[in-house]
Amino acid sequence: MVVLAIGLILVGVFFLVVAAIGTLRLPDVFSRSHAVSLTDSLGAICVLGGLALYQGFGINMLKILVVLVLLILLNPVIAHATIRAAYRAGLKPQTKEDP
Amino acid sequence: MKPSFPKQFIANTLALFSVWLVLSGKYDNFHLVLGFMASCGVAWLNTGFPNSPFHNFPWVRVVLYSPWLFLRIVESSLHLTKLILNPSLPIKPTLITYRSHLKHRGAIVLLGNSVTLTPGTITVEVNGNTFLVHAIDDTAAKDLTTGRMERKLAWVFQEDTNH
Repeated sequence: MVVLAIGLILVGVFFLVVAAIGTLRLPDVFSRSHAVSLTDSLGAICVLGGLALYQGFGINMLKILVVLVLLILLNPVIAHATIRAAYRAGLKPQTKEDP
Repeated sequence: MKPSFPKQFIANTLALFSVWLVLSGKYDNFHLVLGFMASCGVAWLNTGFPNSPFHNFPWVRVVLYSPWLFLRIVESSLHLTKLILNPSLPIKPTLITYRSHLKHRGAIVLLGNSVTLTPGTITVEVNGNTFLVHAIDDTAAKDLTTGRMERKLAWVFQEDTNH
């Protein structure tokens, strides 16, 4: 159980690192938000899932799962609000044709 | 069919009270009664709004839909990871306008949320049932442009998309 939990957390940390690299490498705010959504999805799911397993069955596991569900429900809302604000402020996404 | 006020009130109270039970972790009489009173109060304030998007919300089928969404998230996360770690950064960002045939407001919210939750695509703007979606490349956008995600949601809300 503990080995599985540590494995999950390490996988999550890997995706968090990839997301950080992506945030630095990608060109504009729109594509960077994709890298950030990688944190929300697999990064957070793996890290929190690993922590839940590490805690074992009990009230703490339920609390972590509640946090996970809230994260999954709320992160798209925040990402969408940020991107819509950027779009309405007049930022145009870069396309491959005009770098 | 609109659920009656008492039924909805009881459902809301039970949902809130179960969240209280999970978060408080204290099961003596004082905390249980306090939590129950708080749940009743909040449920009473929040029940009976007209035009709630949760009318006829198919909770069970939404739960059945989520494993599919989870698999899609894993798949597109791996795809995005490959794109980011590729030294030549082969991205091809595009803006896609997508017109959906879904009618239920909950379905439109769920489609927008699913698109944003999937790495590689993000909902920029929703106007009625027209979506403006930013995709990092064509592979990431395939689920949406082929209508696969919409067909899944049409099944969730038992709607007909063939028109």
